Amino acid sequence: MSLYLDQIRAIIWKDLLLELRTRERIAAMGAFAVLAGVLFNYSLDQARVAPQDVAAGLIWMTLVFGGLLGVGRTFYLEAQDGAMEGVLMSPAPKDAVYLGKTLANFALLFPVALLILGVFWLFFGLDLGSNPGILVLALGLGALGFVALSTLFAAVSSGTHMGETLLPILVFPLLVPMVVYGVGVTGRIMVGRPVEEVLGNVRLLAAFALVALAAGAVLFRFVVED
Amino acid sequence: MSITGMRRTGTGLAVVGLLGMMFVFWLSFFWVSTEASQGVAQRIFYVHVPAAWTTFFAFGLCALTSAMYLWLRDERLDRAAVSAAEGGMIFGTIMLTTGPLWGRIAWGTYWTWEPRLTLTLLLWFIFLGYFMVRSSTENPEKGKRFAAVVAIVGALDIPFIHVSVLWFRSLHPQPVVVRPEDGPALPGDMLTLLLTSLAAFTVIFLGLFMLRYALEGLRRELDVRARKVAA
Amino acid sequence: MELATESAPAAEATQTVIEARALVREYGPVVAVDGIDLALGEGEFLAIFGPNGAGKSSLLGMLGGALRPTSGEVRIRGVPLDFSAGAWRRRVGVLSHKGFLYAHLTAEENLRFYGRLFGLKDLDSRIPERLARVGLTNRARFEVRQLSHGMRQRLSLARALLHDPDVVLLDEPFTGLDPSAASVLRDVLRELRDGYRTVVMVTHNLSEGLALATRVTIQVEGRLAWEGPTTSLEREGFEGFYHKVVEGRT
Repeated sequence: MSLYLDQIRAIIWKDLLLELRTRERIAAMGAFAVLAGVLFNYSLDQARVAPQDVAAGLIWMTLVFGGLLGVGRTFYLEAQDGAMEGVLMSPAPKDAVYLGKTLANFALLFPVALLILGVFWLFFGLDLGSNPGILVLALGLGALGFVALSTLFAAVSSGTHMGETLLPILVFPLLVPMVVYGVGVTGRIMVGRPVEEVLGNVRLLAAFALVALAAGAVLFRFVVED
Repeated sequence: MSITGMRRTGTGLAVVGLLGMMFVFWLSFFWVSTEASQGVAQRIFYVHVPAAWTTFFAFGLCALTSAMYLWLRDERLDRAAVSAAEGGMIFGTIMLTTGPLWGRIAWGTYWTWEPRLTLTLLLWFIFLGYFMVRSSTENPEKGKRFAAVVAIVGALDIPFIHVSVLWFRSLHPQPVVVRPEDGPALPGDMLTLLLTSLAAFTVIFLGLFMLRYALEGLRRELDVRARKVAA
Repeated sequence: MELATESAPAAEATQTVIEARALVREYGPVVAVDGIDLALGEGEFLAIFGPNGAGKSSLLGMLGGALRPTSGEVRIRGVPLDFSAGAWRRRVGVLSHKGFLYAHLTAEENLRFYGRLFGLKDLDSRIPERLARVGLTNRARFEVRQLSHGMRQRLSLARALLHDPDVVLLDEPFTGLDPSAASVLRDVLRELRDGYRTVVMVTHNLSEGLALATRVTIQVEGRLAWEGPTTSLEREGFEGFYHKVVEGRT
């Protein structure tokens, strides 16, 4: 068990160290988050639409699109020089490889999620509502569910000759419920509704993330096997 | 069952199903009584509901055989999964075209985010992904495994989609016209017709499914023979 | 020309380390490996020659547990490969012409990463020792992208052997090596052979293969068309013989 955990830790350590050296993915996602905020500023007529009313949806869409930018490349980095083959031939269980890569992706995406919230707060002067803590929790659970699904399907799409283009087609239909729950929580908290009203949705976000993680851990071996 | 047996049974079922469907059309045009509040347009319901049922049945079958394929690695299970997926795609398309046609008359709009319609739309796109991954790998075995993973995750996602689309509706105005399911129990003749149609659609699906399965088997046999000739 | 046809008696004397039975690998309608049987004992070094597309890499992939056979099985010390994370993976080391290295990690970090995946405990002493063995001590803190091709190959070699595998599988390891890296590789491979490890090497380089191997096989169209011990081979005539086997004239 301790070996299993250390294998997961080794993969997270390796992925984060690579990201620290290259800063490719975090830079792409961060820049996307800010630029999306700028574009939304010009695509909304703020005289007619109050940003407060639509921000919840925009935040989650930015998270999903921005996340795809980063997670979509996760196996591209591995494919160079065949590094993934080496990992798969090691005694590390495939589920440990999946969990390591997913958690590393989460560690990259969660700060981006907070950045998105910050950008919207700054650009649109949003009122974060009755309970910012729940907002952060919902974004965290959403980011976890997102990376759990998209890491699995990034492995699928990188194994096809369509590559990253296939990823959104595969994950968007599956992500609909997560976005619905997430927008529900965010929208309600931002208009100051009581926390009790959104707890059901937060639980659904958690359940979604857990089911996605479990499914990914079980199914990953069938994706990477040759 | 042998491939030939499959083909014959499949053809038989497809023919019986098609005859049944013609009978259903005749019944729904000339026999069944007109529903009081919605008028003639309601009759599309006898195609729409069975198509929806068949789509969900096909998807369930596809996910189940996909999971068994990953477990047992029997070629035949993958053949069953892809045959079911194609059936689901066809009946899903029927469901998605008849729904809006009825909606235009009953609700005054082609598209609404009615939960079951939304769920079918998302299923349709999951099926689309299923076929896209299947055909875009160099090694066909890999495509089969990828497709199976898509089907399984899709099936696991259905409860979440279901809860979310139901919940989402509560944010939006309810459709003004009460849907037929919500009304009082269907009068006898409507129920009879609905069940007949359900049977006809299921038989057609099973017929197409078996034909498609047999075709995949023949394709495999062709590969083996071509290889023997080449050797 | 008459070359060896007798079987190798030495093979039966030692314990079988890696064994393949009726291995078949198909890619859809294409058959890459078409029924191969193999058994190698300790200290045996098998060189697999063959033209492009003969299925050599597929065979090697199956022996190393990277590829799942369509049918047949591979056993390592009697344990069938089950494609899980089984302990048998610790017994196998793979070196291919791809390096399996991360360009943005240092030489030391690459080895540490693999060492942790293999659950090795003594990495703090093992890594410097292995880097010294391949002559990279003063490059330990260099990122792999800053290393020359030959240095990367030597690092890959250290990575493949980090966990002291019983079975070492090599796929065209000499491709693109500079003379000094090639000589390090040759020394290490000779050491492995003399240290009773089992080595399988796929290569186009006939002279390199013959110099190191104890057994040679020629793979053509997914089958082992010829197999025999190197002791009985006439080095000079081998190339002509090889071409005859490949063209199916024997």
